[in-house]
Order: sequence, then C-alpha cells, then structure tokens
Amino acid sequence: MLPVMALAIIEVRGLSYTYPESDAPSLIDVNFRAEPGEFVLVTGPSGCGKTTFCRALNGLIPNSYGGDFKGTVMVDGLLTTSTPVYELAQRVGLVFQNPENELFCTTVEREVAFGPENLALPREEIAMRVEEALEIVGITHLKEKSPEELSGGEQQKVAIAALLAMKPKVLVLDEPTANLDPVSAKSVLELMHKLNKNGVTVILVEHRLEMISHLVDRCVVFEGGRVAADGPPREVLYSDKVSELGVGLPKVVQVSKRLSSLIGEPLRFLTPEELATYIRGMSY
Amino acid sequence: MISIDGVTYSYGEGISALDGVDLEIGDSELLAIVGENGAGKTTLVKHLNGLLKPQRGRVIVEGIDTRETTVATLAKKVGLVFQNPDHMLFAETVEKELSFALVNFGLPPEEIAKRVEWALIEFRLSNYRDRSPFTLSGGEKKRVSLASVLCYDPQIIVLDEPTTGQDNLQKTRLASTLAKLNRQGKTVIVVTHDIEFVADFIPRVVVMSKGKVIADGPTEEILVREDVMDASSILPPQLAELSWKIGLSTPSINTEMIVEEIRQILRCDQK
Amino acid sequence: MKVFKAFEYRRGATILHRIDPRSKLVYLILFTSLVVYFTNPIALLIIFLSFLPMVYLGKISARWSQSLRGSLFFIVFIFIFNFAPTAYYSGSLLDAAVSAIAMSLRFLNLISVFSIFFLTTSPEDLTQSMVQLKIPYDYALTFNMAMRFVPTLSREAQYIMDAQRSRGLEMEKGNFISRIRNYVPVLIPLIISSFRRAELVADAMESRAFGASKKRTSLYVLKMGRGDFLFISAALGSALVLFTVNLLL
Repeated sequence: MLPVMALAIIEVRGLSYTYPESDAPSLIDVNFRAEPGEFVLVTGPSGCGKTTFCRALNGLIPNSYGGDFKGTVMVDGLLTTSTPVYELAQRVGLVFQNPENELFCTTVEREVAFGPENLALPREEIAMRVEEALEIVGITHLKEKSPEELSGGEQQKVAIAALLAMKPKVLVLDEPTANLDPVSAKSVLELMHKLNKNGVTVILVEHRLEMISHLVDRCVVFEGGRVAADGPPREVLYSDKVSELGVGLPKVVQVSKRLSSLIGEPLRFLTPEELATYIRGMSY
Repeated sequence: MISIDGVTYSYGEGISALDGVDLEIGDSELLAIVGENGAGKTTLVKHLNGLLKPQRGRVIVEGIDTRETTVATLAKKVGLVFQNPDHMLFAETVEKELSFALVNFGLPPEEIAKRVEWALIEFRLSNYRDRSPFTLSGGEKKRVSLASVLCYDPQIIVLDEPTTGQDNLQKTRLASTLAKLNRQGKTVIVVTHDIEFVADFIPRVVVMSKGKVIADGPTEEILVREDVMDASSILPPQLAELSWKIGLSTPSINTEMIVEEIRQILRCDQK
Repeated sequence: MKVFKAFEYRRGATILHRIDPRSKLVYLILFTSLVVYFTNPIALLIIFLSFLPMVYLGKISARWSQSLRGSLFFIVFIFIFNFAPTAYYSGSLLDAAVSAIAMSLRFLNLISVFSIFFLTTSPEDLTQSMVQLKIPYDYALTFNMAMRFVPTLSREAQYIMDAQRSRGLEMEKGNFISRIRNYVPVLIPLIISSFRRAELVADAMESRAFGASKKRTSLYVLKMGRGDFLFISAALGSALVLFTVNLLL
C-alpha cells in the first residue's frame, strides 16, 4: 500500500450506534472507507445494520434520530455530527427502499426541482439542473407526470434524478430494488453502474447479488451490526466466512465453487457469461 | 381443486387485467405464479377468494362458483397472505391478531384458543404472545401475518410476494414451511417475481404476461425455455442463462445437474 | 371514493387551465358567496346555468357530471330533510318544495364551483400561488403533499380492506354500532402506515436539503396576464348582474 493515500470521500471510524428507546446497538465498531469514484456493494442478512449504516452516511443518524452515537463519520471532509443534514445532502444523496415514500410532489419536474429550490439557487440554474438530471437518468419524457402514475422502477429513477440535481459526490442506496420486479431492478442497477462511470461514488445496499456483484469494485458484508467482510467481490463472495453467514450466493458462484474443488483449480466467476466463456475455452 | 375458466377482468380504462385465463390447480399442489408487474398475477389471486368476481368466465373453488358466494365463505377455504404485513396487523397483541379471523368465522372459544396456541408454536411466536405486532421486526411481522391466516386452517393458501425484503435464511425457512404445508395436503400458491426462489423450491410454475397465461408446467422445464422467458419479460434464473450460454443440450436450473454436465464437458476434453 | 376522483386534476390545455389560480380563487370566492347568499331557487338556477359555459371552456363536462352524479345521494338526502320538516311545520307543500329545491340547488352549485376550480387547477400551481400569496411555505407544502397522497391513501385503504376481508371481516355485517366497529381493523393499519410514511417522507425531505435556506427559490413563478384581468373582470361583472337579478326576483 502506498504511504500517501487519496483522501477518502467517506471515512467511518469506530462507529457504534444505538437507536433511542432501544437497548441493543444496531452498529458496533464499524470501520469503513470509500475512495472517490468507488462502487461499493453492501450486503448482509435482515437486521444486520445496513439501513442504519446508510442513514449514518448522510447524517440523518444521529442529527435527526438522536440515540447513542460513538465514533466518527466523515463525508467529503465534513464531520456528520457537526454538519447539518441539508449541508451533507449536497454531498451525499440517499435513495430509500420504497420509492412511494420518497416522492412527495405532484409532478416529476417539481420533485427533481425540490432540492435545488431548497438550496435557493437561481431559477435558471434550477431549470438547467432539472433538465440535466432527467437527461442522465433517462426520464425526460416523464417530466410532467405525477409520481403516482409511474411504475416502481420509474419512481426510483425519479428519486435518483432528484438527488442528482443537488450534484452529490456520493449516492447511497438502501435496497433500492426491494420493491421492484426484476426487469426494473436491473435497469435501476445498470443506471447506478452508469452514474458510477460518470464519477459518482456509489454505496449500494442490495440482496440481489447476482445482478450487481460483477459491476462493483468492493463488497462489504454486515452481520449483527459489524463489518464481517470487506474486499473485492471475487474474494468476499468466495470466502468461507461469507457462505457461513447465510448470504444468498449467486448460483454461478455456487457452481464455480463446486467446480473448483472438482478440478482443483480456483475459479472465481461472477456471471454466467464469464463461466460459460471459461468452459467454452476449455472444451475447444 | 380450483378451476379457472376463461376469466376476463378489467378495472375499467379499457385494458384487461385478465384476458381469458384458463388454469386448473389440483388438490395439494405447490405452484408459483410468475410474471412482470402488471401481468395480472394479483388480479388473478383476488379471484380465488372472491375479492374480485370474473366479468367473463368463471372460477370454481372446491366445487363452489365464486360468483355465487361471499368472500367470508370462500376465505375459510382460501387463505390469502398479502405482501405487506403492515396492511393487516392491527390488534393490541400477537395473540389477538391470530384470533381475529377465527372470531370472524365464529369458531367456539376453546377451538380458538387451541388454534392460536398451535400457530404461536408453529411460527416461533410464543415469546411474542403479548407483544404488540407493531413492535416486531419485519421478518417477525411476516410470520405473524402468515400465522394469522394459517391458524384457521384453509385448504388453499395463497401468498403474494412472500420473499420481498427477506434474506436468504428467511427465504429458506419460508420454503420449508411451504413444503411442510404442502406435505400435509394443502394447496400452496406463491405469487412472486423472485425467480430464483421458484427455481429452487417450487415444482410447478405458471407464467403470466399481459393478462394471459403463456406457459404452465414443471418448473425445471418452463424456466429454461428461452422463448417463454423472453415473452414474459422476467429475468431467467442464472443457471438457465448459464445453460444457454454454454449451449447445454438439456438446460437445467439444478446446481447438481449443471455441475455434472460441466464436469462431463471438461472430462471429455481432458481425455 | 368516486366522489374524490371527480375532483382530481387532470392536465389540460384550455383557457381555463391557463388562468392563474389566484384569478380562479377570486371567481371561487365570489360565486361561493353568491350561492350561500341567494335563497331564490330561480336565481340559484341561473347561477347553475352560468357554470355551463365554464364547464365547456375547461372541457371538463365528463368529470363535472361525474361529480354531480356522485353527489346525487346527498342531494336526495338534502331535499328530503328540507322538505319534510318545512311541510310539517308550515303546512304548505309549495313553500316546502321551494325551500327544498333551493337547498338542493345550493348544494349542486357548491359542488360545481369547487369542481370547476379543482379540475382545472394543478396542485403545484395552487401551491405556488399560495406561496406567492405569502402563505408560509410549510403550509403550502403540506397542502401539496395532501393532494399528492390522497390517491396513495385510497389505494392503501383498498389493500387493507382486501386483507381484512380475506381474514373473514364482513364490513356490512351487524347493526350501526358494530358496522362502525368493523372499520377498526381497517383504520388502525391505515393510520399507522400513514404515520410511518410521514416519518419516511420527512427523512426523504431532509435528505434533499429541506430547510437549507430561509428563502427558497421556485422553479416557476406565476404571473398574472391580460387574460387574468379579463377573467376577473368577467367574474366580477357576472356576479354583479346575478346580484341585481336576485334583487329583482
């Protein structure tokens, strides 16, 4: 490792957190770091602290929730405990699980404009940002619609556009596809990949590893409020520890593991494409 | 026994949610209904306990035409477990939540007590008997909602998207509960777009698209058909995709079979 | 629930849709006052007829008539409850009929004028006009969100009713008191999920810099044009004529 590292965009140190009126901590001594432009997948069983972790990254925890907060969370050089949420919101965008509850305006355009309006930007600037955000996400045609009329996948894209209009450096998504059908889920995840390529740091909480693991730089597994594994997806998903945690491993990973022990050669494939290419290569 | 015969239903606005659906479901079957959002899955299951009545065609459940009876009567035979437990939990305690349906159906108090007891144990809820259902975790709430339907012992059980928000362990537990019910002779119908769950645990699959049934049969045969997967715009199971990409003559969704097939291919070449 | 649908705004491009909400608000207040003030059924009928061109201009005849049909039950109710006591105490069937007709027309007119207003005014324009009328943004936003979540709430109520009916709840069973009690298993989940939604919406708003600045900007600002002054003049003029007609009758 180089002695001088690039400044982390997110730096979490020794974070422990207990919700008010709760006796058990939701996060225990979490250490986490993300470099600018990274795509980090966060996964783990229900109740492992993923959602709490997301809310700690944009300062909702502890600023709006209270509770017992130890350790530090730095986002783009700002300490979340001493920075108001609206200030952090311009650096970290948070996408929630159920799009129904994060859209509260009566048209898509208004929804996307809401953030920049709050920042009191000049009107021309707002209009430009709205256009731009809708364009990147690919929903310009939905501008006049009411969020109520849209499908779950479209709603989630509106939510993402609404955050992009504030030009955040980081997007944090808390199981954005939990309520979506697979086709919409895939298109939302592909959108994240595209945004990441454009330079946005992405922290994505997701169960559907088979759809996304090959697109991420790193995979972090939470368990009982702690970070149980952290590393490149090909290492983490193939580690013995993770299979013990009961994380739903993609079928390709399961097959590759079985083949590895059969042929005595480590295979670490993440997609059907990769594994098929390997097999075709071997059989010719 | 359920027989759905040319059922058409539209919510107005011109588009048919169901467009001539024919489907036979035998006694003690375990099957999944899959399809993209808006394919008509939920509309179809609402026909099974009479929440919706067919505008054309008919639905016969255990010999009863759903148009000729009430939801309350059918609900005793067909238990519907909805996706979001928050849409049904309302009582002060888990115990009262479980007895709600039993009281509605007018069972005698001793019987109610007995069944509630059974459900508390069966679904590992005994510790929560006097807790408010609202204070439970997501997974626990799902169990309460399932228990509150199963405690009145319906012959047919329909679950709408039971795996949403569930982790791998919870899914496996759910699958074994469903298998157990099925072994006891219940008909279990799972409505879902969790195709990997279907591939792993459900033997029969009905694929719907745009209000029609486009395929129906054994899961391992249907889910590896590229034409069906394309037409329904649901994503195929990973192993089916792998089978197609390798070019297996008999595509499969079974890990063992795939490993075996691949082993054969690799062996042949090593010779 | 159908009645609400009849008031739900749909996008349109008619003159009436383009008029500033504030001008329409003037119209709404003027005509509501007239309707409440008038007692003569003929005058009330003339007001009713005056809505016809508005309905035509806004191309909302289908929804407007839907709102009228939706309120038919109430109109019958109002008619009977005005007719019966008046007939009993005054003994004159004619007086009773006249007053009952007037009351029914009054109700019909109120429904109409509100339906014209809401059917042609988009919630966001209405919110914006509230802001420009110096109503604090928090109130305007609350109003806007209420409009946004009405359909969500009614959909949710339907889910909950389906779920409870599937557990053997019979909403229409029993006498008046037990019928009300039948709604408890529907209302509790509805209320609780609304509270939970409110919390999540608050999180989402905060995450989008709500409260970042005292003076927020708006993407759109409403401007009154020549059309608006014409519209207000026409509204004032016709109100005046109606007022005079009412005096002469």
